[in-house]
Amino acid sequence: MPVTILAPKAVRVGYGANPDHSDSEDSGSDPEGDVSMGLKRAAAGRKAAASGGSGSKYEIVTPGEVITDDPQWMRGHGTYVAPATTSIISSVAGTVTRTNKLLSVRPLRARYTPEVGDLVVGRIVEVQAKRWRVDVGSTQLASLPLSAINLPGGILRKRTETDELQIRTFFAEGDLLVAEVQQLFADGGAVLHTRSLKYGKLRNGVFVAVSGMGGGGGVVRSRRQVWTLESANGGGPVDIVLGVNGYVWISKHVETPEGLVDKTSGITNIEESVSATMYSSQNDRIGPETMREIGRIRGVVTALVDNGLRVDEDMVMRGYHEAVEMAMTSGEGPEDIYLGGERGEQLAAALTAV
Amino acid sequence: MPLDTSAYSLALLRVDGRRWNELRRIHAQIRTQAAADGSSYLEIGHTKVMCVVTGPSEPGSRRGAIGSTGGGVGGGAVGGGAAQSKGAEVAVSIVIAGFSSVDRKRTARGDKRILELQSTISNALAASLHTHLFPHSAINISLHVLSQDGSLLAALINAATLACVDAGIPMTDYVAACTAGSTSTYAANDEAADPLLDLNHQEEQELPGLTVATLGGSDRVAVLVCESRVQVSRLEGMLAVGVDGCKQVREILDRVVREKGRRMVQEGTVEKGVGLNDMDVD
Repeated sequence: MPVTILAPKAVRVGYGANPDHSDSEDSGSDPEGDVSMGLKRAAAGRKAAASGGSGSKYEIVTPGEVITDDPQWMRGHGTYVAPATTSIISSVAGTVTRTNKLLSVRPLRARYTPEVGDLVVGRIVEVQAKRWRVDVGSTQLASLPLSAINLPGGILRKRTETDELQIRTFFAEGDLLVAEVQQLFADGGAVLHTRSLKYGKLRNGVFVAVSGMGGGGGVVRSRRQVWTLESANGGGPVDIVLGVNGYVWISKHVETPEGLVDKTSGITNIEESVSATMYSSQNDRIGPETMREIGRIRGVVTALVDNGLRVDEDMVMRGYHEAVEMAMTSGEGPEDIYLGGERGEQLAAALTAV
Repeated sequence: MPLDTSAYSLALLRVDGRRWNELRRIHAQIRTQAAADGSSYLEIGHTKVMCVVTGPSEPGSRRGAIGSTGGGVGGGAVGGGAAQSKGAEVAVSIVIAGFSSVDRKRTARGDKRILELQSTISNALAASLHTHLFPHSAINISLHVLSQDGSLLAALINAATLACVDAGIPMTDYVAACTAGSTSTYAANDEAADPLLDLNHQEEQELPGLTVATLGGSDRVAVLVCESRVQVSRLEGMLAVGVDGCKQVREILDRVVREKGRRMVQEGTVEKGVGLNDMDVD
């Protein structure tokens, strides 16, 4: 059979032309020489990357790349030190950050790593004897001990065995909640708490999962993660919870117990109202206008993520107002909540232009 | 159809027109699936594979983890590497699509060949990934073979490496793989046979070959699989060519990741890094 020559493939950018394998070389197979050349090339590449932090400021580091040989730096997350050397080598693909003498690499994308004080939205995956296991998008499930929730009937109430038996009446599998990271274990596991009236079970809304603090856009840590937005088109007030872990909750605003303080004096009354609503899984009635505006905010959040923009209070508020404007100018009026594809790009362009 | 080796000695061109030391076109993409933790798509010539990484996450029956094998043929996940208590477990599952090769062959569930591929990949990656950082968790690597034209194991390893980089899992270095062969069969007993780089399906059928994976740009071999008979004198040359090929593959994979990273930094998705020159200021 004659030699078959396939049609040429598309031009390989950069790596196609391989100067080491010139035509004169192919007559004799000389693996030794070839290997040494390959080595030299790889070594040269490494040196170039190590000496300059690379020329372009958009450059990233990749796994196995030597960041520095200088022993004055300390290694942080995303790096390791090769045995018996002082060179700090990147272990993830990402951008280099430094804190004084500490070098770390922030990955382009990774799972959420909990930190004490983070506000997170999570979902109960498992109910155990004295605690719940909560999915917060991290490498491990977080735990929420029974002692770390507000029990109905007063903050000062003692936890009893009856509470342990009734653990499912507070949170059952699949329930969503907003909580704060209280404590971290050495292995990266987190302990949550909901001992504030701001935290607790979530209802009356919609859940969106975007990428969180792990890297690569998404929700960023900011001054305010929870706020109430007065929606347009008669939607009424809408609560938005941006969990640092990238889980977002958008719901109809219901009057919180804090709001009741003025009307009812005395701490016992507040706690009774807590017991009535706090662990309810029943949604309130939500008007179609409110549902539509919740849907629009959800569209804004996903459009922000799709276009690689950060998700924080400022961006969501501006994005929402922009989306309302866009709906008004489009043919269908306020009913038009679609923000995918071109509409999302248009929204992102409007936000970045300012 | 047998490979005409006499044609090779005349023109020094292989059946698909390559020279002895040429790789096929490698095309790769990362972050092909937005919903996954990490994902990649890789083509080596006509071998096309897709990879999705989930994790590191809590092992066990969680919602996303159930029902990993959809259609096609394939085996269950094979876990390997570090002990579960010490570090993350790397579980690999491979699904070979029924339409991936020329003849539609039904592969039995729990096929030994697939199981071996799974454990090879699992062990190779577990050695490079920093699993000790994620105790009590699992990294699930799901590989789908869409089209087969030789160098399957190499393509699977490369795709899995890229997906792990995309998932942001810390690793010592890329695990880059490629195949190497020899220009004449075992039976020919030809001492002067040339080594070949990156075998396609036809060459793989006719000629002795091996798959080699190295840890990044170093000469450290992470995987060496040889399933055919070959004179031991030829092995050294094949291995040398294979290791050199791995270095080329690493550069290609690295370029894919850098390109994606540069684009993300430019778009502002990721904050800019600090150059080392800026660091010397204080």
